[in-house]
Amino acid sequence: MENQKPIPLKNQDNSPYWEGADRHELILQKCDSCKAYSHPPGPSCAKCGSTELSWERQGNDIHGKVYSYIISYRPFLPGFQDDLPLIIAIVELEKVKEVKLIGNILSCSPEDIAIGMPVKMIWKKMNEERSIPQWISE
Amino acid sequence: MSNIKDRYAIVGVGESERSKNSGTTPLHLALDAARAALNDAGLQAKDIDGFMSYSENDSCTSHQLATYLGVRPKYVKDIMGGGSSTEMLIADAVGLIETGQVNTVLIYRSMNGRSGVRMGGGGWDVNLLQSVIEGGSFIIPYGAASPSQWFGLFATRHMHETGLTQEHLGHVCLSFYEHAQRNPKAFFYGKPLTMEEYKNTPYLSYPFNKHDFCLESDEANAIIVTSAERAKGCKSRQVYIMGLSARQCVSHAHYWNDLSEVAADYVAPEVYKMAGVKPEDIQVASIYDCYSWVVLRQLEAYGFAPRGEVGHFVAEGNLRMGGKLPSNTAGGMLSEGYTHGMNNVLEIVRQVRHEYKGTDRQVENCEIGICTGWAGPDMAGAMILRN
Repeated sequence: MENQKPIPLKNQDNSPYWEGADRHELILQKCDSCKAYSHPPGPSCAKCGSTELSWERQGNDIHGKVYSYIISYRPFLPGFQDDLPLIIAIVELEKVKEVKLIGNILSCSPEDIAIGMPVKMIWKKMNEERSIPQWISE
Repeated sequence: MSNIKDRYAIVGVGESERSKNSGTTPLHLALDAARAALNDAGLQAKDIDGFMSYSENDSCTSHQLATYLGVRPKYVKDIMGGGSSTEMLIADAVGLIETGQVNTVLIYRSMNGRSGVRMGGGGWDVNLLQSVIEGGSFIIPYGAASPSQWFGLFATRHMHETGLTQEHLGHVCLSFYEHAQRNPKAFFYGKPLTMEEYKNTPYLSYPFNKHDFCLESDEANAIIVTSAERAKGCKSRQVYIMGLSARQCVSHAHYWNDLSEVAADYVAPEVYKMAGVKPEDIQVASIYDCYSWVVLRQLEAYGFAPRGEVGHFVAEGNLRMGGKLPSNTAGGMLSEGYTHGMNNVLEIVRQVRHEYKGTDRQVENCEIGICTGWAGPDMAGAMILRN
């Protein structure tokens, strides 16, 4: 079935992140001045305002822990009507703890989800060209 | 800023009819609310020389309102904004009056929030959402488009860290629903809620069930602000602004990345300092209540109970009549109606005025009240009032 879910819009601030995702790779924005990671990526560092930014490749073997979550029993957007209940989580990355990514925990029942649960990143294809990072329990 | 404590007053409050389907335009509703506020203050439309509103592009303009009240103001302003906009516009009005640009300002929020543009969403263009919401492309593709979900992520973590339970959320709902039973104009008048019912209600978006969500209504609210000097000539019992913190932000751009702080944490010390009071001096409150948990987090931020003890504070019945801090005494946005916070401002003014004196709605002998605004974890404002 054709994807009905919203596909991330690329712009000048986030395209390296989403192009990395399309290649099934995680790439994070980092400030060269204060060394803080900037996520979501932006036009300058949200910590110090510097425009000296670079992109750091994290590879494709990404692990993390559930930092917080909600369970949606109603679709608020098109394309999610068959995915209920939908778990939306904030995941703290194992290797870069200050970065927390929002994603869905797939193939997980509401009874099993918990803060601190270890998860692993997978890439979900949206169409021929586009993929987004998602998470499964490990 | 010079010390404005007690030098400005709210002299008029008013509202339109509240319904789920007004059958009319936001302009008609705004006119009804403005006329009610003018009548409350004993002022004429020509006495108002500044008009301000906030909206999410779902209202009429201040210019239209002034036009159809038949007056030509010196100043009109319409901002985009939700929670905490009332406090912010009051601060702006004070600044304009202080610098002699206007004398008396009417601030309103008008919306067909149920029959027209619903905040609860639905029908939005997903690409537009990705563009207009900060970091939108990192949340919309994951189905996270509702404030209930964004704030819910804060709630789950906060509950985990501080031991808050679903029952504590329920106590917020039950307390406010109980107030609504004394307010015939509240949507949930005649519809009390029991803990058993609350706990048996299925989740809509965990950790929230439908009772944890605010209502949607068609209505307009208006308030009139002027100097303490001019307030003396008004018909109503004036309510003085002791302290005001317009709108502050947390220091990071992407609020769902850091759940450890909310803007209200920064608003609280400033508003208490300006007012020269402490949390224990506050006798009545209007706490912004778009969701039940938001009330709990603000009780912590504004120092009404220490972190970790907020649940106990609400379970003891402290938000109810006779409690330490009767709050949202008209029912709040959880059970009275929803105008992005302004209905809660109207209620705190009425309580501090002792407008309900002689009835079971009055918080007895309340002299000082607080009103908080929450645009989100990222932006907040607050105001302390006295009679």
